[in-house]
Amino acid sequence: MTAPSRVGSRRSRLVFAGSVYAALIALTVVFLFPLVWIIGLSLKTRLEIFAMPPVLVWWPTFENYAAVLSSGDFLAAFWNSLVVASGAVLLSMCVGVPAAYAIARFPFRGRSLLFFGLLAMRMLPPIAVLVPMYILFSKLGLTTTRLSVVLAYTTFSLPLVVWIMRGFFEDLPRELEESAWVDGASRAAAFTYVVLPLIRPGLVAVCILSLQLAWNDFLFAAVLTNNATRTLPVLMAAFSGGDTGVDWGGMTASGVLVILPVVIFSFAAQRHLVAGLSSGAVKG
Amino acid sequence: MSAWLDSQFARLAVLPTTVLMLLVFGLPLLFSLYLSFQGWSPDQALFGGRFTGTDNYQDLLTDPAFVGSLGITFGYTAVTVATELAAGLGLALLLNIDLPWINLFRTALIIPMMITPVVAAFCWKLLLDPDHGIVDYLIGSHIIWLGRPDTALVSVAVVNLWQNAPYVAVLLLAGLRSLPSEPVEAAAIDGASRLQVFWHITLPLLRPYIVVALLLRTIFEFRAFDNIYVMTSGGPADATMVLSMFTYLASFVRFDLSLGAAASWMMLLMSMALCVLFIAVIRRREAL
Repeated sequence: MTAPSRVGSRRSRLVFAGSVYAALIALTVVFLFPLVWIIGLSLKTRLEIFAMPPVLVWWPTFENYAAVLSSGDFLAAFWNSLVVASGAVLLSMCVGVPAAYAIARFPFRGRSLLFFGLLAMRMLPPIAVLVPMYILFSKLGLTTTRLSVVLAYTTFSLPLVVWIMRGFFEDLPRELEESAWVDGASRAAAFTYVVLPLIRPGLVAVCILSLQLAWNDFLFAAVLTNNATRTLPVLMAAFSGGDTGVDWGGMTASGVLVILPVVIFSFAAQRHLVAGLSSGAVKG
Repeated sequence: MSAWLDSQFARLAVLPTTVLMLLVFGLPLLFSLYLSFQGWSPDQALFGGRFTGTDNYQDLLTDPAFVGSLGITFGYTAVTVATELAAGLGLALLLNIDLPWINLFRTALIIPMMITPVVAAFCWKLLLDPDHGIVDYLIGSHIIWLGRPDTALVSVAVVNLWQNAPYVAVLLLAGLRSLPSEPVEAAAIDGASRLQVFWHITLPLLRPYIVVALLLRTIFEFRAFDNIYVMTSGGPADATMVLSMFTYLASFVRFDLSLGAAASWMMLLMSMALCVLFIAVIRRREAL
């Protein structure tokens, strides 16, 4: 449904459109100003950052980015983030996609129980899982390893994968794999060679959405990593511990570098954003 | 063999998910339920604690910091969800109007929700800095937003609104786009004003989407942690001590893990109540 643009006279419609634009521009300024300002800070020298009144016109410098990218801390954390996020997504996809297919297609005992469990996993507060998880992992000698973070991340990426993929599988017509079964293909073969290739856009979308969640996580990584295995959000939070210090250029440049990949990813998956947000509550 | 595989296909397909779910979710939660009735310290063996009955729970309920954090969490959740819904609905309605360039605004206005929460909170910490921040400069004052008990929670809530109102807007905009256009056109022909159309047609049709957004946001605000950790760490003077923060500090700073387990289980029970409500509402929607 689109808004009632046919209501009222021509003149009142023009006034209406004008005020809508005015409101939209004002809102865009409010919502994007903080971000634009931060990006601006990241392109300033230290003198310009702390100048009062603020410098509005300046020759941008990339020295902050150069400093961040040449520091071992940032690159190590970037690598850790990349490894744990892709590890968690890969694991959740391998485990969750067949399950989503089974849930979408076959009735079996315990289906609603499994479904309820996945919903609970997605909805319950992560700190509640983290407390016992930390204890069990530390007794197993797993804390501060990247494996522990990957396992912890499946608590949110697995339900996301199953929820969204189930929707994609349900939208796929049954006849395709049924004809493969008739031709003598096993269930597993029909799933691998007929269904999966057809569902590829869904796989890509759910990959991006869960990658984004894993990239953004702070709580699990904060507890389960040390200085060698910490991820980018943990590094960012360490910057802000207590005083904000004086290296605003380095901090803002790091921040921009952390959010750049997720923003690009989000735009790539924009069409599927709603499915990801509501995780099955609203159908695509 | 292959016939057996086919007959067991569904079971085999869900087996890894079930196992992983029990390992990373079921088992830890059962253990923390057990732990919450124990006196336990990290140097003891897993089951080497001492049974203390409901002591941990009693300690929590008599701890002013915990009781305070209950009030702060519920208040924070209620206020942030209400403002996010109101702002998100307004945004969605504006973005739903078909005008040239509207897609540009649709894209620009959802950027805040994509940003890593820790980074967003961190950027706002710089913007709100009393000495060098742009906010205090623009309003010409010297307010220590995050350092005063009376402004800290409000500041955190406003930053949260900035980040999550677009989230609600995306959900509700999707709802608006999927509504049938006939009722609105019919009302327009009958001479209804924009306000009447909105109030009597759009809003009732949109209600299921609003309910979903309401419940999702409630569940996510109830567990709020990242933004508060970065901006205030629960301070000043416990003014922003939400339940997640309290549980985190008890478990991982004071290392009283059995108390942390009890606090987590109280959080779990409260969010389970929210989940039950969530499922009930969706069931009712599907039945309609």
